[in-house]
Amino acid sequence: MASKSMRQATQGRERASEHEGFLRYQSYKWLKIALLIALMTTLIYAFNDVKPKPNGGTIYGYTTGTIGVLLILWLTMLGVRKRAIAPGRWSLKSWTSAHVYLGLALVVIGSLHTGFDLGWNIHTLAYVLMLLVIGSGVFGIAAYASLPQALSANRGETTQIQMLDNVRMLDRMLNEAAQPLPADQAAIVQMALHDDPFGGGLISRLTGRYPKCGTRAALEAVRAHHIREEGVADPLDHVEVLLERRRSSLARIRKHLRLKALLEIWLYVHVPLTFALIAALFVHIVSVFYYW
Amino acid sequence: MSFIVRTVARTADGRDIVRPKSFDKAELSIGRSPSCDIHLPDLAVTLDHAVIRAAPGGYVEIAATAGLPFVVDGKSTEHARVSVSDGAIVRIGSHALAIEAGEGEDKRSTIVTVERVGAISNASEEKEEARVFSLAAVLPSKRVLAWAGVLLVLAIFLAWPLLSINLQPTDQTRKVAFHADELWTSGKLSQVHAGLENNCQACHVKAGESVRDTACAACHKTVHDHAQPKLLMQAKGSSGFITGTKHLVGGIFGIAPGRCVECHTEHQGRTQMPVTDQKFCTNCHLDMSSRIRTTLKDVGDFDVDQHPQFAPTIRVMGGDGLPTFRRVSLDANPKESSGLKFPHDMHLSTTNGVAQMARTLGKGDGYGEPLQCANCHTRETSGSTFVAVNMERACSACHSLAFDQIGGTIRTLRHGDPAQVAADIRAFYRAGVTRPGVFTGMERRRPGDFATARARIDYAQTTAMRIGNADQAIRAVFSKGGACFDCHIVRPTGNPVTPFSVVPPQLADRYLRKGWFDHAKHETESCTSCHAVRSSHFASDVNLPKIVKCQECHGGQDARKAVPSSCAMCHDYHRTDFAPLLVRNSRVRGKEGEFIGVKALKEAGSGI
Repeated sequence: MASKSMRQATQGRERASEHEGFLRYQSYKWLKIALLIALMTTLIYAFNDVKPKPNGGTIYGYTTGTIGVLLILWLTMLGVRKRAIAPGRWSLKSWTSAHVYLGLALVVIGSLHTGFDLGWNIHTLAYVLMLLVIGSGVFGIAAYASLPQALSANRGETTQIQMLDNVRMLDRMLNEAAQPLPADQAAIVQMALHDDPFGGGLISRLTGRYPKCGTRAALEAVRAHHIREEGVADPLDHVEVLLERRRSSLARIRKHLRLKALLEIWLYVHVPLTFALIAALFVHIVSVFYYW
Repeated sequence: MSFIVRTVARTADGRDIVRPKSFDKAELSIGRSPSCDIHLPDLAVTLDHAVIRAAPGGYVEIAATAGLPFVVDGKSTEHARVSVSDGAIVRIGSHALAIEAGEGEDKRSTIVTVERVGAISNASEEKEEARVFSLAAVLPSKRVLAWAGVLLVLAIFLAWPLLSINLQPTDQTRKVAFHADELWTSGKLSQVHAGLENNCQACHVKAGESVRDTACAACHKTVHDHAQPKLLMQAKGSSGFITGTKHLVGGIFGIAPGRCVECHTEHQGRTQMPVTDQKFCTNCHLDMSSRIRTTLKDVGDFDVDQHPQFAPTIRVMGGDGLPTFRRVSLDANPKESSGLKFPHDMHLSTTNGVAQMARTLGKGDGYGEPLQCANCHTRETSGSTFVAVNMERACSACHSLAFDQIGGTIRTLRHGDPAQVAADIRAFYRAGVTRPGVFTGMERRRPGDFATARARIDYAQTTAMRIGNADQAIRAVFSKGGACFDCHIVRPTGNPVTPFSVVPPQLADRYLRKGWFDHAKHETESCTSCHAVRSSHFASDVNLPKIVKCQECHGGQDARKAVPSSCAMCHDYHRTDFAPLLVRNSRVRGKEGEFIGVKALKEAGSGI
C-alpha cells in the first residue's frame, strides 16, 4: 500500500514538473480566441462600406472603440491580479496567457477602430501609445523567451553577490599590492578602485559599453607607465595582474547587467506608457464627446 | 607632551578592535609608508603625507609635508592648529583622525583615534543587491514615469485645450492661429471649410452637444430644405435594426436624424467636400411611392431600368389655346408648342439650298460651309448650357427683314413688333412710292441670288410683285410667303391699323429642370451623337436623347461603367438651380477628366 501511494505521489510530481508556459497554456486556448476576435473584426470591417471613408465615428467605430477601451482596462488589471495571490479557476498563468493574446488582438481592434484615419492629434497619439505598449510587450515576451538562458550561462554557478564579492576581494588585494607605490602610481590604482561596477547610465547598461571604465584606464596606464626590468620584482607587475583579473570580473558583471537590463527594460516602457495611454484614452473620449 | 594613537580595525563580524600605541615625542609622522608613526594603508594618502606636532598652550599643529591637503572639521587645508581640549576630526584620504585630550592617567597625552571611514574601493561600499543589479539603479521608478506620462498627457491634451476653449474669444477678435483645441481634431476640414480650421467652436457650439443645423445655417443662410421635414421622415420609412439603434441612441443624446452633417461629413481631410453618397438618396427614393403619395417615380440607381425615363418640362397648348408647361416622359414622344416653325433637318442638310446659301454667305459672316449647330446655338460662358437663340444674330443673315435702301443704309422691319412693322410699311407708302419694298419671305431667297449682302434686297424680284399699296404690302408680309409667316404663327387681330399679330415664340431654355446636364463635360461628343436633329422635321420635336443614350457611358455609383455616376452628378439635394456640387467641385479643381474614363473617350470618337 505504502509503496503504491509513494509511486502515485512520484508520478504526480513528474506530471507537475512538465512545464507549460503561459504561451502554450491550455493548448493555445487564448491564441485561438484572439485569432477568432481578430478575424471577426477584420471581416466585419471588410464588409462595412463606410462613406466617404472609414473612421472611428461609425457604429463599427464606436463598437470597436468601446471593446478596445474595456480590453485595455482589463489588460491593465494584470498588474493588480499578479499582486493578489489567490487560488481559483482564473489562475495567474491563464490570466497572463489571455493578457498576451488578447493584447495582440488589440492591435487589430485598435487599428480597425481608427479606420486608418490618422493625423497629428490626441486620437492618433492614443493609438500610437497603444502600439508602443503592445510592441514593448512583444519585446518583453521575446526577452523572456531568449535571455534567461544567456543570463544563466554567463553567471555560471555564482550568485550576484558572489560576483560582487569577487571584485571586492580583488580590490583588497589591489589595495595591498599598491601600498608601496608612490603617489602617482597609487593614483592609477585608485582609478580602478573608484570605478563603480554599477556606474554608467541606461545606455551603458543596455549596450554593455562603459567608455569611462576606470579599470581599463588603469590597466592601460600601468602598461604605459614604464618599461619594467626583467627579473626585478616590481609591485606594478602584481598590480597589473590584479587589474587584469578585475577587468575580467567586471566584464562578467556587466554582461550580467546588460542581460538583466534587456530583461527589465520593456517593463519601463510597458507600464508607464500604459498609464499614459489610459490618460490619452480618457482625453480621446472626452474630446470626442466634447466636440461631438 | 605625548601622543597616544589608537588604531581602530573592524572585524568581519563588525566588531571594533582598538590597538593603542603611545608615542613619547612631540611630533608624529603620518603617511602610507610603514615607517610612519601613524601608518595609513590608504592609496589616497602619500607615503609621507603630514606631521602632527604639539604646540604650546594645549594646541597641536598638523602640517602637510608632501603639499597635499587634508580636511580638518570639513575644511581643506595644508596647515591647521587645533585646541586639544576642543578636539577635532582630521580627514586624510579614507581615514579619520580624531584628536582629543586624554582623560585620567592619560591626561597629559593627546589621543589620536585612527579609523578607516571610507571603503577601500567603490565596489567595497555597501550595495543594495536588488537595486544595483537592476535597472532601478539607472532609471526613475516605473511609478514616477507613469505619473509623469499621465500628467504630461493630461496637461498638454486636456488642460491646455480646455483653457484655450474657455479663454480664447470666439468672435471677430479671435486670432487666426493655432488654438490648443485643434489637438482634438479628428482630421482636416474640407477645402471649403478650411477657414474654420482653428475655430472649432464655429460648428461645435456647445460642449457635449453634437453639431446642430443652426451652426451650418449661421453661414449657409439661403439653403432650403429638400422637402417638408415631416414628409422626409415618412419617405424614409421604418429604419432597419442598425439605423434604428443609431436613432435610438442618438435620441437619448438629443441628436435628431436628418441633420446636415449626416450627408455633409466633415473632417475627412483637406479635399473637396465629399460628394454625398448615393445611398443617402436611395434610402428614400428606391421605393418611395410605396410610403408616401408622390408624383415622383422610384429610382434606385442610374443603371438600366433603375432610373425613370427623362421627363423634360415642355410647353404645350391647352384646350383653351393658352400655353402650359408640363413634364412629359420622352417615352411618350412629346410634342412641344414653341410657337416657331423650324425644321432642323432642312437647316442641317449638306446638299440643299440652305447649305448652298450658307456656303455663299462666306467665311466673313461666319458661314461658308453647310450650317452647323454652332451657327445658331452659342454656348454661354460657363460652357454648360446655351444662350437663347436670337433672331437677329442667328437667323437674319439669311432671313432678312430689309425692305428699302436709302443711300447706303438699309431699312429693316422691326423684329418682334408687328404694330411697328405695320406702321413702317404705311410710312413707306405714305412717302410716295417710287420704288417697291421687299416684303416677301424665303422663297425670294434662291441659291445664286445672294452674291453680296446688298443683293439681299432684290429689286428685280420684288418689283415683279408690283405691290400697289400699304395694306396689300402688310398683308403680304404676314401671309404665306411673307417674311413673318415663314417662321411664325400669325393671327389676324381685326384691328385695321395693326391687322396681324404674331404668337410670341417661347423656346425652352432648360428642359430637364429636376436635373443638371453639363454640355461642357461632354465635349468629347458631337451634338448630333445625342440629339437626333438631322431627322427632325418639326420645331415641335423634343430632340433630347433618351436615358438609354446616357447609359451607354453612365452607370450607377458603383457600376462598372466608364462613368460611374452617383445621384449627385445630376441632381442637387437642395434644388438651388445651380449645378450640383459634384459638377461644381470638379470644375473648380480643373478635373473635368476625372469622371470621363478613357473608354468613354474612345467610344465617343470624334466624328458626328
